[in-house]
Amino acid sequence: MSMVETTPGAWEPKIVAFCCHWCTYTGADLAGLNRMNYPANVRVLRIPCSGRMNPQYALDALNKGCDGVLVCGCHPGDCHYSTGNYFARRRMLVFKRLLEYQGLEPERFQVRWISGAEAGKFRDTVTEVVEQVRALGPLHLNHELVLSGMEVE
Amino acid sequence: MSRIGVFICYCGSNIAGTVDVEKVAEVARTLPNVVHAETNKYTCSDPGQAGVKAAIEKYNIDRVVMGTCSPRMHELTWRKLLADTPVNPYMLEVANLREQCSWVHKDKEVGTAKAIDLIKMAVAKVDKLSPLKSTQIPVTKRALVVGGGIAGMQAALDIADAGYQVTVVERETSLGGKMVMLDKTFPTMDCSACICTPKMSEVGSHPNITVKSYAEVESVEGYVGNFDVTIREKAKYIDYNLCTGCGACTTKCPTKVINNFEQGMSARPAIYKMFAQAVPAKPVIDAEHCRKIQENKCGACAKICPTGAIHYDDEDKVTTERYGAIVLTTGYQLIDWKPLYPEYGGGKYPDVITGLQFERLVNASGPTEGHILRPSDGKEPKNVVIIKCVGSRDPHKGVAYCSRACCMYGAKHAHQFLDKVPDGRCFVFYMDVRTPGKGYDEFYMNTLQDGAQYLRGRVSKIYKEGDRLVCLGEDTLTSAQIRIEADMVVLETAMVPAEGVDKLGSMLGVTRDKDLWLTEAHAKLRPVETNTAGVFLAGVAQGPKDIPDTVCQAGAAASKVIGLLNHDHLESNPQISRVNEALCQGDGACVNICPYHAITLVQKQFRENSQKITRTVASVNPGLCQGCGACTVTCRAGAMDLLGYTNESLMREVDALCQW
Amino acid sequence: MSDIQEAMRSRAKELLESGEVNAVIGWEAGRFENQTTPLITSQAAKTQRLVFNEYCVNNLGKYPRDLTAKGKVAIFARGCESRAIIRLLSDEVIKRENVYIIGIGCPGMRDRTTGELLKKCAECRHGDPVIYDEMLGEPQAKPATQERFAEIQKIEALPRAEREAYFTNAFSKCIRCYACRNVCPCCTCRQCFVDQRREGWLGKQNNIAENRFYGLTRVMHVGDRCIECGECERVCPMDLPLMSLNRKVIYDINNLFGEYETALSLDEPPSALTTYKVDDVEEFM
Repeated sequence: MSMVETTPGAWEPKIVAFCCHWCTYTGADLAGLNRMNYPANVRVLRIPCSGRMNPQYALDALNKGCDGVLVCGCHPGDCHYSTGNYFARRRMLVFKRLLEYQGLEPERFQVRWISGAEAGKFRDTVTEVVEQVRALGPLHLNHELVLSGMEVE
Repeated sequence: MSRIGVFICYCGSNIAGTVDVEKVAEVARTLPNVVHAETNKYTCSDPGQAGVKAAIEKYNIDRVVMGTCSPRMHELTWRKLLADTPVNPYMLEVANLREQCSWVHKDKEVGTAKAIDLIKMAVAKVDKLSPLKSTQIPVTKRALVVGGGIAGMQAALDIADAGYQVTVVERETSLGGKMVMLDKTFPTMDCSACICTPKMSEVGSHPNITVKSYAEVESVEGYVGNFDVTIREKAKYIDYNLCTGCGACTTKCPTKVINNFEQGMSARPAIYKMFAQAVPAKPVIDAEHCRKIQENKCGACAKICPTGAIHYDDEDKVTTERYGAIVLTTGYQLIDWKPLYPEYGGGKYPDVITGLQFERLVNASGPTEGHILRPSDGKEPKNVVIIKCVGSRDPHKGVAYCSRACCMYGAKHAHQFLDKVPDGRCFVFYMDVRTPGKGYDEFYMNTLQDGAQYLRGRVSKIYKEGDRLVCLGEDTLTSAQIRIEADMVVLETAMVPAEGVDKLGSMLGVTRDKDLWLTEAHAKLRPVETNTAGVFLAGVAQGPKDIPDTVCQAGAAASKVIGLLNHDHLESNPQISRVNEALCQGDGACVNICPYHAITLVQKQFRENSQKITRTVASVNPGLCQGCGACTVTCRAGAMDLLGYTNESLMREVDALCQW
Repeated sequence: MSDIQEAMRSRAKELLESGEVNAVIGWEAGRFENQTTPLITSQAAKTQRLVFNEYCVNNLGKYPRDLTAKGKVAIFARGCESRAIIRLLSDEVIKRENVYIIGIGCPGMRDRTTGELLKKCAECRHGDPVIYDEMLGEPQAKPATQERFAEIQKIEALPRAEREAYFTNAFSKCIRCYACRNVCPCCTCRQCFVDQRREGWLGKQNNIAENRFYGLTRVMHVGDRCIECGECERVCPMDLPLMSLNRKVIYDINNLFGEYETALSLDEPPSALTTYKVDDVEEFM
């Protein structure tokens, strides 16, 4: 019973947001407390720290049907664990470039630092990413397998 | 097969307003391994919680999804609830149906669809969790204070007064730190020795306090409640059990050594007490300069000692003891201005002195017995120039930060000089005058009344003309070029971290900021804690501050220590990293990345391919690990996993989310 | 080269006979013309089979990992082997006292069918060994004939859709034989993530999405430690442009975090991705 089923035919972007517990998840909660509105196309997945963000989770999400991935953490210098987001920053800088290099649209993998107070920034970021991905259309990664020009299957 | 129970809350109309709660429960019942799903008006209420408990029992549930408000609100409530049931409190996943669903969407269809997805994600994740147990960490009810300045003494006294044993490690031969070198303290002008030395003797004689002077921390192992600290007490060459502190030995020593306590302005013997009221009130031998120890000549001190307390063959004493908590009060030193400021003579003019030298000159127990006399010729200076911010707020030459106390002691020095030399003139070069603090601005105003002339600008050059020091500068308020013929120049130099604090910090996993000050756990909310549980900060070690602020912090750190030592046991957080030793190849990538120094490499024996082999694997210290999970990502093999947020559970959560 | 070959044989023989080492790793002639294959032997007599010519295309540097049970082994090492050994040493896979490194200068190796310089050798910046216990013959100091990041810059300049097509085509050919992983001196995990069924990092289907997952994850796992020996690309039976992925990460690390080339000495700093600077590039605000 998902949204795609309730509105048959209409494609809606699916976005997963990996949010650190201490900052962005708190910011997302604050957006709720302030009754802010943002598109329902985003699902927040809670991780303890952006340093816990394994690029493999993002690849899995993109592979299995998400149209975009958002990774969020505390602002550099504010990490609850003091250094987690510094490592995340390096890793994500490299990973994002690699994804784009091999052809992914930059909008489909984004990283943002959003603090526990930045409810508005959370709402705006989510809205922006959803709209950007909506403009790009669905992500089709699982092309039919083509082996040296030959159709397989 | 797991048996999952799903509990969905109406939260009055908070969730039910935009989520069809009954429909969510209906879908939840169809999910794999879900044996029961129910709704409740207010799950967090007593009847709500009782309902959850009853259902757990009735359906033999072994893990739980709570579709409620944010886990930031009630995760702990649910854990406590589960602690009363057969379900492990960590076999829990909270689906955030309120803050991140019902409250941010208006359309009930949209809200319901999203709530269903959130439940699916939580069910997928909880299905892969395993029970976790907190372990009880015993607490050793003793505290270690590193540094015997005013911060360390205050912290030690507060902790000791609460009934706990405290050891104070002091690198110098006496307690007192920088404060005991000062003459008077702003803004009340009480004599520093009069308020500092009583603290010293109180520390020295307190039944709960052990002072290890002339000693340094050599290494630290362990974690909160259980730090094994190795302390090296340097050889003093004097048996303190025999020594009466009569001081006869110090009068007989023929050697003269530069006296650092007097800021190099006098000499002391090789066997010496740092100053008259030193605590411990007994001398040590400075081995480097002792003729007996270096050349086996002399021995005058041993001959005169009435108790035979002097032993030239004394050795360093290294002891390891366990402490529950550590307070770092390592303080500061003054920046070495000489190489940085060649335009101020770079140290070649003896009458260009630092603020601390001025403190000794004006101090009745100092080298001039309180008469302000120039170091070069012993004459009383009539014109004195004080330059503030030497090294401070000067990122090109010194440090970028403000040293905070200099505006006030600069004003104090001007006041003291004008007081002692009534016909003198005093010029103060400043960038800004910062006097926040009770009675501070009034003190500054009084100094202006005394006749100190404040000039806004830096001195650009000091050179010698005859026996005077010509200071060139600009008064930036009038744009006038200033030339002052001074008899003495006082540089109010920047505070920088004490030497060796970098090493101490890395030993304890306490980070240093770009200027090497020790970093607090949170700039606003945890100002005296560090990122290493059980290690606290006080005083200038954390950043420049004056005496009242230092004492406040010392008290705050002490109260944190007392709070910690008050527990017999600490509950460990079980959501920490775990090593799969079969996968770990021991390359140590995780060791470097851990902010808590919680991971070490150990040699372990394994039986592999029917052979006994020894190989290196990582090992996580459960007392240090805080569960950030940074190590898990750096481990390519996935040998490091974070309990409660395992790779498997997160991957299934992602998979569930993709199915929407 | 025949001088070197003679020296190799006699030195290997000596080392085995004296008991200084328990095995020697080198090359021997293969079944076909201009083909060689790795030779690993514990027998002094067999050292006469050692060859060294322009067709010694295999990087031997990963073999010491498989021989840890043997105790001390000797290995003939050119630039690529020596850097592979540094990689294994700093990843704690082997111990320095268990490997005796005999350096040989490398003029670059050739394709046995076309006779052309191999791509990996044209790109090679360190033909001569960077560490060794002894050196046979003279260093060759062969310069790289290919700009280090030329290929990356060329691909980066393509429009996005063309890049997507290029790599989709590449990943579509992958048969997931894992030869690239098996030959890679950076791939030293006791169990590879692809084999971790419980986590289920990737499925068993051979489709583009899974192949891409494998390819990109491998780059994230080895890119920051890649010694640029180019073996993955050489052994790929489907001719995937694997080095253009690995070098992309190296290129970015160079641009983002400062000049960097790994495995050139034993006391190298930790990998750029296991450290950080407070003032690193910021583009996520």
